Amino acid sequence: MSQNRLLAILLSVLAVLVLVVGGLSAILLLSGGDDDNGGTASSGGGGTTTETGGGGGNLAEPSSGRIRLASSDPITLDPHLAGDATSAEYIVEIFGGLLTLDQDLNIVPDLAESFEVSADGLTYTFTLREDAVFHDGRSVTAEDVAYSLNRAASRELSSPTALAYLGDIVGMREYFFGLADSIPGIQVVDDRTIQLTIDAPKPYFLAKLTYPTAFVVDRQQVESNRNWTRRPNGTGPYKLTEWRLGERLVLEANQSYHLGQPSLREAVYLLSGGSALTRWENDELDVAPISVNDIDRARDPNSDLGPYYEAFPQFTISYLAFNVNQPPFDDPHVRRALGMSIDRERIANVTFDGMLQKATGILMPGMPGFVDDDLSLPFDPEAARAELAQSQYADNMPVIQITEVGAGAEASVDMQAFIEQWREHLGVEVQVRQSDFASFLSAQDQQQLQAFSAAWIMDYPDPEDVIDLLHHSGSQLNATGYSNPEFDALVEQARVEQDPTTRLDLYRQAEVVLLEDAPWVPLYFGVSHVVVKDQVQGWFEPPMVVPRLRYITVNR
Amino acid sequence: MGAYVIRRLAWLPLILFIVSFATFALARFGPGDPVTVAAGQIRDPEVLAQIRQDKGLDDPIPVQYARWLGDAVRGDFGESFIQRGFTVSELIFPKMWVSAQLGFLALVMIFVVGIPLGLLAARLAGTWVDPAIIGTLLFLQAIPVLVLIPPLLWLFALQFNILPVGGWDGIFEIWWIAGVIAVPIPDPHLYLPLLAFTLPGFVGVARLVRISALEVNTLDYVRTARAKGLSEANVQWRHVFPNSLLPVITVFGLALSGIIEGALFIEVLLGIPGIGSFLFEAVTSRDYDVIMAATVIFATAFVLTNLLAEIIYGLVDPRVRLGASRN
Repeated sequence: MSQNRLLAILLSVLAVLVLVVGGLSAILLLSGGDDDNGGTASSGGGGTTTETGGGGGNLAEPSSGRIRLASSDPITLDPHLAGDATSAEYIVEIFGGLLTLDQDLNIVPDLAESFEVSADGLTYTFTLREDAVFHDGRSVTAEDVAYSLNRAASRELSSPTALAYLGDIVGMREYFFGLADSIPGIQVVDDRTIQLTIDAPKPYFLAKLTYPTAFVVDRQQVESNRNWTRRPNGTGPYKLTEWRLGERLVLEANQSYHLGQPSLREAVYLLSGGSALTRWENDELDVAPISVNDIDRARDPNSDLGPYYEAFPQFTISYLAFNVNQPPFDDPHVRRALGMSIDRERIANVTFDGMLQKATGILMPGMPGFVDDDLSLPFDPEAARAELAQSQYADNMPVIQITEVGAGAEASVDMQAFIEQWREHLGVEVQVRQSDFASFLSAQDQQQLQAFSAAWIMDYPDPEDVIDLLHHSGSQLNATGYSNPEFDALVEQARVEQDPTTRLDLYRQAEVVLLEDAPWVPLYFGVSHVVVKDQVQGWFEPPMVVPRLRYITVNR
Repeated sequence: MGAYVIRRLAWLPLILFIVSFATFALARFGPGDPVTVAAGQIRDPEVLAQIRQDKGLDDPIPVQYARWLGDAVRGDFGESFIQRGFTVSELIFPKMWVSAQLGFLALVMIFVVGIPLGLLAARLAGTWVDPAIIGTLLFLQAIPVLVLIPPLLWLFALQFNILPVGGWDGIFEIWWIAGVIAVPIPDPHLYLPLLAFTLPGFVGVARLVRISALEVNTLDYVRTARAKGLSEANVQWRHVFPNSLLPVITVFGLALSGIIEGALFIEVLLGIPGIGSFLFEAVTSRDYDVIMAATVIFATAFVLTNLLAEIIYGLVDPRVRLGASRN
């Protein structure tokens, strides 16, 4: 090969490289410049953002202000498919259903103006509001509600949440499994009236209707546009105006929202990840979660974070679960011994630096039915040893293996503390196995795990959602195999008890039985720790997902 | 040569078939499935079974694979379970774009930094600088990426607190001067991943440049140039430098496949939303269609990169005859 040819090759490679570099930088510059143009303009820098005012100009005062939040992409904005909290946070702002939850978690009418329950507690008749419209201005009719409920349970959609929330409606199950062509429990009476019939007088059915699965979607949009969830036409207080995957999602106030015009005009969710607190300190975010690394700084009133720090209890519970069909956990003495020999209070306060709150039972503070006593097993090594001595496994303890989700080589910090305390107080050796999330779920569902550590997030504010759903011997979600006729009887009675006080009392009794039998050892209740900028007023972290943006004001 | 390239390319479908089938089967034999993960915390086994049936996930694996292959050949890579309402192709291209930008910058940097270091080492051969440069670079190459990243993070993000711990914000950050003039500066999120990509890669380029520069230095035409009375700087710049660069092209392919390999770890550890971390997420949530698409892309990139390396090598070095029979 001649020198010339070599040179020619080298030159052509260079030429290609130059072209590629040039082209890339041009593209990058263009797109980068574009992005930032938007960024500077909106952060109030050089450009002026002129609001072209909403159509409803004659309303009292137009929404104003803009909040910048850190979040991640929703898994889906289809309310009938979503089963995760991140997706739900967006969905409750964009969509709505017959009922919703207010700031204090009361069930209040949304698209429905009012409803009546028949004397037998089986039939709910909802009257729709006259002024309820989709974002595009079309009125919401009973037909839309019926279509949406049908769609949620349809075979084409294969929704994992449909039956959990709507399965009480007569005929829903059969329809979902393809055994029936229609749902007799859903009846459109007239344009503004819809009747739902359920299979038993369950007071918690109303609470389930506040979940996205029961929300209303626009039939025309869903059927005409495959990609409708990218710019959904909902009925909620906010409409989606922009969504760039992994970058940003923008919600804008629905000026003609039927429950009152939102005071906050715009919410920008930044989805790209990175340290939220750093960005908050750079004034790129208005609210940032605080992690355990920064909690001391945030709690110190004299620190730069101190004045902005707030903590909000959440409806989440972490727990240890024992499979009651596998030795040694088929013996309640062993379960109780393990539960009473761990100092959960100290671990919550010291190991987790107060990021979590010790669980005093199954129900979190603020839940209907919560009582202000510590119902959980006390930390009492003496009593724990006595329990262990009574157990049939006192002298021949089988190998105990606790499974938790994780990829690391070592157990989570609290699990390490538990192991240490079980060794110290009981002389029992416990092994920890870490498993990836998908394997963990399938093993948990098949009751293969001897013991595991997990958490539960309340879906709706009713004790049924955790006490009955996860522990009744017939429940599909009972992962411990727990079965106690006394407990079952209590929760079955509570399911259909119409008097709220009696009903909550039944759940309290059931909770006491459950904690005594100890298929679960409740560990901690979740707490959300955030810093919030001065300009934001009325920010709150509700204990579970509820629409909240419209209550917030931002002076910017 | 053309025939050789075509022959090599003809193998690509077979390689992809084997890789994809193995991945497909492995993913489905593993415990857990996307339906379970996507269901959230309320998982009714009967409901999940129905969904699996609706989605054809309970068919025999060869049947499912055939269906996947049929769709994939037509360009349909299915739908993600963790980002509903978007096709896998729609999701994967932005991620590939992120990885490509980063990989390209890393590739350029390996050469831009590696070549001067190699020339410097050759120039100062016989002094302590030469072994110091090459020794340091060799040491850096010997550290696996997984081990390299934590100390980098500790140093730059925690100790000095000058670089973000991870994330991605595009290549450039724009600084506005007086709100009118845009000045692009490299985004701070770039530095750590670039270091992780390039530190192990410099040595390959630097060593080759060094050896080749040393060799060129002893050649007749260089001696002639010196004899003509050209200044040493002129000799180096006009004769040694261009002629010692030729062999460097051959490490291009090697450097590129190193970058593709590194993408998986570096992106996951530094939170870069590229195809590597996308694949990792997909694996942990059993997002079958995404796993398949990402695997196919990685495999194709690997095969093509290696082929490219061979072609360039054959072009540059006449002693290598591609496709020549081995006896």
